[in-house]
Amino acid sequence: MKRLGIITLLTIFSLSGAMAQMIKVDQKVFGMDCAPCAYGLERGLKKMDGLESVKVSLNDGKAYLTLAATNELTLQKIQEEVKNNGFSARNAEVTLKGELQKERNVWKVKVNGEIFIVSADTSGDLLTKLKPGKIWIKGFVKDEEDGELTGIWEIRIIEVLKS
Amino acid sequence: MKRTAFLILLTITAISKVSAQGHGPLYGLQTPTLAKGGFDFNAAAMSLATEDDQSFMLRYIWSYGVTEDLQINITTPTMINRLSEAPRTRGNNNMPANGDIEASVWYRFFSNAFGVGKRFESTAILSVSTPTEETRSGINVSNSIHGAISTGYASRTWYAWVGGGYQYYFEEGNDQLGDLPYASLVVGYRPNIFMGDYPKPDWRVFVESLAEFPGANTSEGQLTPVDQRGEKVMLGPSFLGLYGAWGISFGALFPVYQDITQGPTEEYRLSMNISYWL
Repeated sequence: MKRLGIITLLTIFSLSGAMAQMIKVDQKVFGMDCAPCAYGLERGLKKMDGLESVKVSLNDGKAYLTLAATNELTLQKIQEEVKNNGFSARNAEVTLKGELQKERNVWKVKVNGEIFIVSADTSGDLLTKLKPGKIWIKGFVKDEEDGELTGIWEIRIIEVLKS
Repeated sequence: MKRTAFLILLTITAISKVSAQGHGPLYGLQTPTLAKGGFDFNAAAMSLATEDDQSFMLRYIWSYGVTEDLQINITTPTMINRLSEAPRTRGNNNMPANGDIEASVWYRFFSNAFGVGKRFESTAILSVSTPTEETRSGINVSNSIHGAISTGYASRTWYAWVGGGYQYYFEEGNDQLGDLPYASLVVGYRPNIFMGDYPKPDWRVFVESLAEFPGANTSEGQLTPVDQRGEKVMLGPSFLGLYGAWGISFGALFPVYQDITQGPTEEYRLSMNISYWL
């Protein structure tokens, strides 16, 4: 019986761990002008664990990342890899799932140790629909200085995919 | 025979897994540095023709990105034909034209990526060289140091770099090769037809110009033949093709102005680089 309880708890923990994660990231990249730049960035990103696919577009100035079903990737790691390649990581469009919490009148989603704070410029319609609990959202993460990443991001939600 | 050997080696170079020195111009100073932890291998074939003779040389460069802004390089030559009276020049933006073995550090001290594919940046270069021959143009040749600085703009369509450098040879056995101040200006353009997105091939064309002001040599403690500085302005096209981890560039420079105090006049310079980003 005890064993069954432990297994149940472990299952709940592993499910909740898998619950909070990023699903898709379209990372804007400034300063990338040539094929070897794109090649280098793509190769660098592919070395990271937790990715299903990576596509880099020079003309869009973006890296399109689809993350694995279970991953521990953070936006900070992705942006640091962009910086290591000599470019500047700017804003990103992300799809993520996690637990939405309200603290001191501010909505937050915690994902793999990072905090996504829902920005005030999220549309009023969407803000009124938010409620604590599991949520699946799409939004624009605002640009932070490349050398000063803290894992705390401001996100403007553009769509609530599931709540 | 030498020319045949040169062409064979050029072909071997072209089909081996090697890389050129960067993704910018061929002769002029540029700014890009490797990614942090990135390796790059370049092979170049170079030729310099004077009114009397023509040199042929293969050159290799191994580069490593210590950080995204700091790159170390070492380049070694395979001389096929040396000139008895070699003009003092830099062969490529990251390579000596003569038989020197050179180690260099590139530091990109300023970078501002301000748009999709757009950036301004500035890079400083410091090199130390040691010769592979005892004399050059009858003068004992010694170790040398080289410093350069360049700044430029890159975008998906236009490129421009301007830079200047200085090479100084130390005294050897009472002889000393003259110094070499130089400046370069490069403008590049990628036509619309080559604007296909990665991983499609990426081509661009450059117009490169180089101004060199070689100082007079010192032989047995005496400036020879006169204490004057030569002047030379070279101009020519170069082409750069990139595909994935590969790059190929080739180009030529022709003199548009020459007022030299020592040695024969130049007719042209040819160069081809193959790059592979490891």
